[in-house]
Amino acid sequence: MRLNSAFADLMTAAALFAIGAGMAYGGYVMDRLEVRHIHPASFPGLVPIGLGVTLMFCSVLLASGTRRMHRPEKEAEQVSWLNFLVTAGWSCLYALVMVGRMPFAAATALYLAAFAIWFIRADKAANPPLRSTVMVALFSVLVALSIAAIFQYGFLVRLP
Amino acid sequence: MIAALLDFGAAFQAFLTPAGLFHVAWSTLLGIFVGSLPGLTATMGVALLTTLTYTFERDTAILVLICMYVGAIYGGSRSAILLNIPGTPASAATSLDGYPLAMRGQAGYAMTLATAGSVLGTIVGIVLLVLIAPPLAEIALNFGSFEFFWLALFGIVISGRLTGNTSPLRGYIAGVLGLMVAMVGSDGIHAHVRFNFGISDLNGGIGLIPAMVGAFGFAEVLTVMWRKKARLVKDLTLSDRWLPKLEDLWRFKFMIGRSGIIGTLVGIIPGVGEDIGAWASYAAAKRASASPEEYGRGSQEGLTAAETGNSAVVPGALIPALTLAVPGSAPAAVLIAALFIHGVRPGPMIMIEQPQFIYSVAAMLLLATIAIAVYGLSLTRIFILVLRIPREFLMPVIFALCVIGPYALTQRVFDIWVMVGFGLVGFVLRQMNYPMAPLVLGIILGDLLDKSLRRGLTLSDGDILPFFTRPYSAAFALVILLTIIAGVSPVRRVVHSVFDRAATGGNRRQDR
Repeated sequence: MRLNSAFADLMTAAALFAIGAGMAYGGYVMDRLEVRHIHPASFPGLVPIGLGVTLMFCSVLLASGTRRMHRPEKEAEQVSWLNFLVTAGWSCLYALVMVGRMPFAAATALYLAAFAIWFIRADKAANPPLRSTVMVALFSVLVALSIAAIFQYGFLVRLP
Repeated sequence: MIAALLDFGAAFQAFLTPAGLFHVAWSTLLGIFVGSLPGLTATMGVALLTTLTYTFERDTAILVLICMYVGAIYGGSRSAILLNIPGTPASAATSLDGYPLAMRGQAGYAMTLATAGSVLGTIVGIVLLVLIAPPLAEIALNFGSFEFFWLALFGIVISGRLTGNTSPLRGYIAGVLGLMVAMVGSDGIHAHVRFNFGISDLNGGIGLIPAMVGAFGFAEVLTVMWRKKARLVKDLTLSDRWLPKLEDLWRFKFMIGRSGIIGTLVGIIPGVGEDIGAWASYAAAKRASASPEEYGRGSQEGLTAAETGNSAVVPGALIPALTLAVPGSAPAAVLIAALFIHGVRPGPMIMIEQPQFIYSVAAMLLLATIAIAVYGLSLTRIFILVLRIPREFLMPVIFALCVIGPYALTQRVFDIWVMVGFGLVGFVLRQMNYPMAPLVLGIILGDLLDKSLRRGLTLSDGDILPFFTRPYSAAFALVILLTIIAGVSPVRRVVHSVFDRAATGGNRRQDR
């Protein structure tokens, strides 16, 4: 999958045009605050209209220049989309679901341990030995407790 | 001049307490570690540390953040030299000559030269900060709404133009997107809530810190894990020299001075940042060098120029940040947010409300510089150990801090959601070559641009002429117009051909 391709640019241009049009329309229909007798030139939708129109213009330029645009040939960059999906998915699950529903230290320890064990396993193409797994779990619990303690007792934060 | 020196001396002395030195020591070391780890940038370090220092006393918090900033920019050279991967984008030019030097068995001396360059570059920048910031603040006192509107627009346009890798258009789009983000929430004049989509958490707008932690922290975690692991240089030799040769530094004296000045001037330009400072200094040094053919093959001069340039940007970026509240770089944008959190109002009034503060910042920069000199020349081996920390342990810890850090500032779970959203969008935009600096600048300058335009129009009773007829406004408008026109392909081609013809003509005359 290439994010730096003509097709990706076309899709982005379409999305940006829609965002720009949405913001321009939102600014246009925004309350003009006549009841407050403000100066007509200072209504809150003025800048959003300008920004929306500018983004629409830029997206048209982007779409029209996609084929001509010089794309420097990147060195064959070694990337792993599986690694990306695991990192993004597990991190989002931790931040958006686990934090707030579980005690923060427990959620963090679980997140750290699963993250490390998954990638050690992926790197070595085999399950890590029991000793390593225990060490990782111990590391995760210690780090999670430290972070929770620093914020809760050091900075007096009510943890999520 | 004497008064400025005395003020600076007093500010410096005020930090020379055991507690002050302790904070300098740990925060600079942490900054070097952050900078040396590929993928972790100075912006992320400063943003995360802002969330950790919000309970600190004002001067201590700013000292810690500045030490982190200086340390991280310097730390980027470690991985650039040893891994051929810049620890921060600021060190991209460093890797061109640093890595070949390491491959030749001169890794130790390459790091020593990088340290010397960083130290001298920051010192040049500090001198210029003390000289330029007060008069600039005085000039800015003449600015009204019309000028501030153009200044905000100038920041976005110039940042978009200079940081857009493949085309300025992507930089401009990133800038406009940042400005749009700033439109969410209560407007700054009538407190009318805009674009909250019925979500009450959006009434106050999108916080800069959660957005920055997402765009620079989470996006970097994703990028690091997405890429394959980096490998340390083989046959790493550190038995070579670890103190810079004075004759080398003397030989490079003009280059160091020039790179320091270029770096500082690049830093003053809003939102441009350390990487451009390094490349500009590197290019200027190569043009003036007696042996330009060595550049890119392990030139000690090239390495020193790049490091001097990127480090000089740090004090330079703080000049507009302090005097105009317009950041010179992405980490400086976070610093502005941190200043507001700690009750300092950057902008033209700073020399009237807190005239000592600029000298305090200069003293903080000098302390951080001394710390990087000490660490850089003594802890080379430890930095190599840091590069060996497995990413599968480090990255989840960083993400856990990205989650709890923004939450700690406001104690709102909503800010965690903002961080995650900006992280995912930031990752995609980055892979599509959209620069992050204009986006950040847009978020921070959006309010200024919006308020200044509408206030200006109210003052002129809806007339747009004062935006073009007042002297400073006219100058800004002209520069913005020229910047945009210069980015248009046909104009660029014509300008290049004119310069090429002039150069060819010059060469022919020399041949005759």
